[in-house]
Amino acid sequence: MTTVSNEERAVFAELADVLIPAAEGMPAASDVDVQGAMLDHILGLRPDLAEAFRRGLSAAAGKPPADAAEALNRDDAEALGAIGIVASAGYYMTPAVREVIGYPGQENRPADPDETPEYVANGMLQQVIDRGPIFVPTPEA
Amino acid sequence: MARMQKGRDPADVLIIGAGASGSVAAAHLARAGVDVVCLEQGPRVDNAEFYGDKPEWELMAQKRWHPNPNVRDLENDYPINTDASAVNPLMYNAVGGSTILYAAHWQRFMPSDFRVKTLDGVADDWPFTYEDLEPYYSRMDEEFGVSGLAGDPAYPPHRDYPLPPMPIGRIGMKAAEGMNKLGWHWWPGPNSVPSRDYRGRNQCVRYGTCLTGCPHKAKASTDHTHWPMALENGARLVTGARVREITVDAQGLANGATYIDRNGREAHQRAGIVIVCCNGVGTPRLLLMSASKHHPDGLANSSGLVGRNLMMHPYAAVTGTFDEPLESWLGPAGQSIQSMQFYETDTSRGFVRGAKWGVMPSGGPLGLRAAYGGKALDEAWGANLHRNTRKVFGRSFEWGIIAEDLPDEDNRVTLDPELTDSDGLPAPKLIYKNSDNTKRMLDFHVARAEEAMEAAGAASISSTKLMRDCGWHLMGTARMGDDPTRSVVDQYGKSHDVPNLYIYDGSVFVTSSGFNPTGTITAIALRAVEHLIENRSHAKAACSHSKVMS
Repeated sequence: MTTVSNEERAVFAELADVLIPAAEGMPAASDVDVQGAMLDHILGLRPDLAEAFRRGLSAAAGKPPADAAEALNRDDAEALGAIGIVASAGYYMTPAVREVIGYPGQENRPADPDETPEYVANGMLQQVIDRGPIFVPTPEA
Repeated sequence: MARMQKGRDPADVLIIGAGASGSVAAAHLARAGVDVVCLEQGPRVDNAEFYGDKPEWELMAQKRWHPNPNVRDLENDYPINTDASAVNPLMYNAVGGSTILYAAHWQRFMPSDFRVKTLDGVADDWPFTYEDLEPYYSRMDEEFGVSGLAGDPAYPPHRDYPLPPMPIGRIGMKAAEGMNKLGWHWWPGPNSVPSRDYRGRNQCVRYGTCLTGCPHKAKASTDHTHWPMALENGARLVTGARVREITVDAQGLANGATYIDRNGREAHQRAGIVIVCCNGVGTPRLLLMSASKHHPDGLANSSGLVGRNLMMHPYAAVTGTFDEPLESWLGPAGQSIQSMQFYETDTSRGFVRGAKWGVMPSGGPLGLRAAYGGKALDEAWGANLHRNTRKVFGRSFEWGIIAEDLPDEDNRVTLDPELTDSDGLPAPKLIYKNSDNTKRMLDFHVARAEEAMEAAGAASISSTKLMRDCGWHLMGTARMGDDPTRSVVDQYGKSHDVPNLYIYDGSVFVTSSGFNPTGTITAIALRAVEHLIENRSHAKAACSHSKVMS
């Protein structure tokens, strides 16, 4: 289990806000606390990301976050990729964000199997049937 | 160095691989009273392990449940050298095999697929016809619990599916409107997910996560469709058993297999008959690993065709984004509608054969990020991230295009001289490129699918002409035929060289068609295993212990 220091969380929050800023009516990444418990949760599920993630944070520490993100994108895309996955996964897993973008998550929404499909009821499929067979039959031996 | 442990009780039949074809074979052999052992290198999977009903779904789809074994990097996977391949092979190693992660598009080949030499002058005809296989297709529809609508004019009439079709959703309606404007074929896609409860499986609730495992125990993976019947009838299933060699006796008959368990112990399973069901990469790998003094080029390989003619179905995608919300995360995924408008050969297009199209939903917001690697920072992130998500998420779908991949002996599976799996066994190396015919086919189909998207009213359209992670369909590497110099097995999967060695998986395909192959793999396996059962009194077997097969 990766233990993330408070200093690393602060650097991550700044980088995450470069990638996912408050804009277009959406909250910034740090507004939904991607640097908090969500970060630990994600790295717990995806330990494969930890090394590149922390390498990126180490390289970014002490630098203006926008410059640091550009440098990572240019020099260490794997590290920025890991930071981007952690940030965006945490962001889009957050209920408040899902609500804003209209995403209920993968839904348990069974359909009624006995209901006549709309494409049958309105004649759309009949147009296909009326055009007739389109296959080449097996040739005679 | 593996430690050898005491061998298990011999079996009438040993099946290697518990995926689609191995499961069908095991269930039907056991039901016929045949003593069966199946060796499977992977574990059993519990549906609760899947993330499709959890917020972490897309995060875990990128690693733990990724279809590329080189990405997953699990011990039950073997690495694959793809440096010389235009496409990455995809699979899963567990009880159920790749049906654990397949999309459950349940397709039949069309009649012309079995006669491409006669009709188009390319490749070879199959040793049987669509009509020969049709009864087995219908029985597999029943056993897998396929939801679909009969009457598709792309096929000769056939028995109705056992379950009503899944809903095609807003995305399917939108796509169908476009197709009707153009006068092009479409039909609700058949899926091996149940539209109502079916034989111990639950009604599909449309999570749309078939490709990363069904958390609802709805999708027809063979750990649910066939293993219960096999085990009830006495089949023995050994998990974590990685086979390193099929062994051959002094008479030249296969007499079992040596495997390594997850504790590193080596064991030998004796059997009268051996059936290999390891997929189009794993099967040639095992046959090549089973080389010996009498079979220096690999077992069953006097034709030199083991590993050759690899076909993986190049896949293109045309994605349309629409102004109105389409709930495009909603399943089945699975497929919504399909089209075979441009499936049959029309030489005026500049190529032969064709492709099946299928509409699929586009998933959640994180998956949309996958295509942004390597782009400028402000293009992929920042305010543009929010704009792109608002524009695309829930409002897009793709026409997926499966192009028929004609056999080419230079496309092949070999053994890597250096790379090994966790047990030190040679990894497969793939050499694979697309032909000019394929490239022209993809160009044509992408252009037509773009027209279909435009007709459907897409506000923007983007196309990917060849996805690298698209090698779901592994075929052709131990092809069937009547001529032992031109094929590895006969039409019932029996090796021309080793008369009690059989192959039932997609390796035996003569051509690839343009369809998702699992329905055909299982129909062929059923046809082959029933032939074996019916003719068991004449079947060659290595051991005299067998009561049933001798």
